[in-house]
Amino acid sequence: MPLLEIRDLIVLYGEIEALRGVSLSVEEGQVVTLLGANGAGKSTTLRAISGLAKPAAGEILYQGQSIVGLGPEAIVRMGISHVPEGRRVFPGLTVKENIMLGASNRRAKKSELSREADAMFDLFPDIRAFSNALGWTLSGGQLQMVAVARGLMAKPRLLLLDEPSLGLAPVIVQAVFRIISEIRRTTTVLLVEQNARMGLSVADYGYVLETGRIVLGGKPDELWGNEAIAAAYLGGHAKQAATAANV
Amino acid sequence: MDLALQLLFTGIGIGAVYALVALGFVLIFRATNVVNFAQGEFSMVAAYLMVVFAVDLGWPYWVSFLCALAGMALLGAIFNLGVYYPLRHRTFLPVIIATIGASILMANSVLAIYGPQPQVLEGWFETPGIQLGPVYLDSQYLLIIAVTCVLVAFNYWFFEHTMVGKKLQATSQDKEMASLLGISVSTMIMITFIYSAVLGGLAGILVAPILFVSIQMGSTIALKAFAATIIGGFGDVTGAIIGGLSLGIIETFGAAYISVPYKDAFAFLVLVLFLVFRPQGIFGERVAEKA
Repeated sequence: MPLLEIRDLIVLYGEIEALRGVSLSVEEGQVVTLLGANGAGKSTTLRAISGLAKPAAGEILYQGQSIVGLGPEAIVRMGISHVPEGRRVFPGLTVKENIMLGASNRRAKKSELSREADAMFDLFPDIRAFSNALGWTLSGGQLQMVAVARGLMAKPRLLLLDEPSLGLAPVIVQAVFRIISEIRRTTTVLLVEQNARMGLSVADYGYVLETGRIVLGGKPDELWGNEAIAAAYLGGHAKQAATAANV
Repeated sequence: MDLALQLLFTGIGIGAVYALVALGFVLIFRATNVVNFAQGEFSMVAAYLMVVFAVDLGWPYWVSFLCALAGMALLGAIFNLGVYYPLRHRTFLPVIIATIGASILMANSVLAIYGPQPQVLEGWFETPGIQLGPVYLDSQYLLIIAVTCVLVAFNYWFFEHTMVGKKLQATSQDKEMASLLGISVSTMIMITFIYSAVLGGLAGILVAPILFVSIQMGSTIALKAFAATIIGGFGDVTGAIIGGLSLGIIETFGAAYISVPYKDAFAFLVLVLFLVFRPQGIFGERVAEKA
């Protein structure tokens, strides 16, 4: 039984079909990457899983149990933690407070949370020095670290990561992906990425989403091997090679 | 100089009442992004509850006080469930109109029961006050200032040093993210309404022996408190307190040195000056950063 299974998921935004029958599955212990262009429905898929978007039809099974219709508060208590697009770090709270609040899905004493947050800085040494800085003072890369650390404080079985590399300098992107490869030792990850190269580098399996539909699924090397797909969605070598030859 | 000190004391006392109501405004605004136009009626209803318990039923003052506050907590909860909760997914406009409707309902319900004559509520203490050098310290004003100090300290501790306070802040800054972390947003908003109703109620109970207990007292206090929140910087807790105190001091001095009949006008003159020259208020920039 997969940890997460989605069948024929349809999500509407008003009249518009954001997802038009998405099916995918995530096995325990895997990192699964969802690739696709802007507006393909990647974020909507994550929002439907975490309960922020209500599906019009279809099934979302977590540990074999349907979670459609549950609110985000209930879903995160079941062990699905969603680090949404745009980091969404609370601007008026400190880094440490943000991270401590990540454990709001379970009961814990404040002193315990403080210890756990301090321990979290071992995984994110770059933000340790900013422990008492307010959210709005941080840079994009720091915000991303805080957002992921906060997501991990929920002690999730499944971590949903939405575009962790968006808007970050290449060096920072590398750092974020190093952390993802740390996380995968203990936690199953469903990763949404536009940066296909990075996204697939840590993945066990990848899906390509196009205008609300899954058009391809496979192991990373299979996806790279598919030339048409590589060219269209993965910012592929085929195109680059052609351009280089012409020059 | 002696007069100035005396006025300062009185001004801080009345300003503390504005500050408490303003704090209620700000907390609800931060949690729901809506101005609660019934905030002043919370003060009015609480003062009438005191009249019911302490005057009509003749209960001891402190028992009446605790019962009135419990009544306000209940009213805050009912207000949330009846006025805000059903409209929470709508835009701000229906919610604001609902709070105005609720305020009219509260005022007229009290009017139906007590009629238009103002009621009289005694102060907490038998001793009217103490003379400290040149300044006469009225006991009711002393009580108001003391209670406000305690509440401001409590407020700081609650929001800065407890996890519930942090969750309330998180909810007011980003509700969707708060719910993703497992924070019960509806519980946080419920706490906010109960707390704000109790704050407004406290202000009403404290100021009742100074003013008369009347249907209009709510709107008078609320207008001043609202002006205080704008002067302080809308949405800012410190700003609400500073704004409330300044307004109390300004109107007391204005009444003494310039004109008594225009007492209320000074508060609004200051408000207009702020709206023209510094619309973001004293602590405005911090609000902008939080937005």
